[in-house]
Amino acid sequence: MSAVNVQGASKIFNQGTPKQVDALVDVNLTVEPGEFVSLIGPSGCGKSTLLRLIANLLEPTTGEITVNSKTASQSRLDQDYGMAFQQAGLFDWRTVAKNIELPLELKGWDKAKRAARAKEMLELVKLPEFADMYPWQLSGGMQQRIAIARALAAHPPLLLMDEPFGALDEMTREYMQGELLRICSETKTTVVFVTHSIPEAVYLSNRVVVMSPRPGRITEVINVSLGSNRTEDTRGADEFFKGITAVREALRGTHDDHANAGAVRGVEDR
Amino acid sequence: MVFGVVFVALWEAAVRGFDLKPYFLAAPSKIAEQFVKNASRILEAASVSGTNALVGLIVGTIFGIVMSFILSRFGFLNQLITPLAIALNAIPIFVLVAVLNNMYSITSEIPRRFMVTLVVYFIVLVNVAKGLTQVRSTHVEIMRSYAASEIEILRKVRVPNAVPYLFTALKIAAPASVITAFVSEYFGGSQNGLGSRITSNIANSKNAAAWAYVLGACLLGLLFYIISIVLENVASRGGVANNTNNNNKNK
Repeated sequence: MSAVNVQGASKIFNQGTPKQVDALVDVNLTVEPGEFVSLIGPSGCGKSTLLRLIANLLEPTTGEITVNSKTASQSRLDQDYGMAFQQAGLFDWRTVAKNIELPLELKGWDKAKRAARAKEMLELVKLPEFADMYPWQLSGGMQQRIAIARALAAHPPLLLMDEPFGALDEMTREYMQGELLRICSETKTTVVFVTHSIPEAVYLSNRVVVMSPRPGRITEVINVSLGSNRTEDTRGADEFFKGITAVREALRGTHDDHANAGAVRGVEDR
Repeated sequence: MVFGVVFVALWEAAVRGFDLKPYFLAAPSKIAEQFVKNASRILEAASVSGTNALVGLIVGTIFGIVMSFILSRFGFLNQLITPLAIALNAIPIFVLVAVLNNMYSITSEIPRRFMVTLVVYFIVLVNVAKGLTQVRSTHVEIMRSYAASEIEILRKVRVPNAVPYLFTALKIAAPASVITAFVSEYFGGSQNGLGSRITSNIANSKNAAAWAYVLGACLLGLLFYIISIVLENVASRGGVANNTNNNNKNK
């Protein structure tokens, strides 16, 4: 049973009008349980659209998408996944603990059970002392950790992330990458992760899916053989640099194919 | 505070130094004297105007909130009614009091209260509707990813988001309600409020007394403003109005 299965999915916006955009064309992608898969590509390649199709926040124009062997819409209704965005998107009028409890409230959990789970999640992201504070009292990195705690509060088997560390500074970002790997291995969560950063994709992923724009599609899938135990030392390993080079070359390919100088803009080399 | 004391002192000095006639400008000391002398009558007039303002403020706020919910729920109504509301707001609605005075009996307070209601209603409607509709797209996407219904999104995202907007509206509407109550008195009807007392005292060249009533009017306006701020502080202690200082940061 695969965690995510996308078969022949296309997404066309404004179909049949002069403003028609082929955001995604004939995408096939399978993600196995426990796998960490990154989607990378230049702006407009449809990586965020693909994530939203999996999340059922958008309906595909054609094709089939299953999550945990259910239709995407059924798995959204069952809260089979948690989601995190570039903006932490915490609710300023709720305390940190109440923010984490939100998905549980919507599931109809009782108060005691919610509070216990919120406490557990705060331990997981190592911020237990911040339960009664408000989000605006926290730094950007802390807010993002709370957002991850909220996304995982209902213990969903799948985590969907749309450039969650894009707004953080480099040091915080690397720390957060380490934390995310730790949290995912502790909770055995499958992750689909959209990013602009090549090193981030390589460091985190089992597989990096390289996409290209106009029309948005998958051009290459690169396996990263860094093993499951990744530390800060991994960032200096030969395999890490090999992975970066492979992804970079795959992205160049998307560039040459289209003779479009702007195509790789928006992908960070750092 | 210092500025106020200096200003009053200069005023007093100017009236005495240049020997300004009382019908031109009354001295603060004379005004204070009149204020104390007429305190009970000023209080009585203030309670008449204040009651009109308060009734209009409450009714207008309720109608404004109800209407903003309806408008934010049904987009087509919004497109239908908002231009009408703006057009209606652009005409000098005070003149309506004259017409309303003819519709009701001459001693009725209803036309004045109606005017206050109308002014408050627009301020509350525009602000609260904004708070209900201008929510962060990330918040809505997160709620949808949790399979939340429109009602749940309304309760957990739109309403809390609109609370600071409501208090902003009240801070504008509270003093405006007092001003509207005064000005409405200028168009006839019973001569029992602060506004009509000011005009009648000026008509009788009793400038210091008129100024004493103006002072009463200022204090009444201030009282309404303070109440709106106290309400906001009480609400924000519960954590609901906290996001005013943070909205810009996250955008």
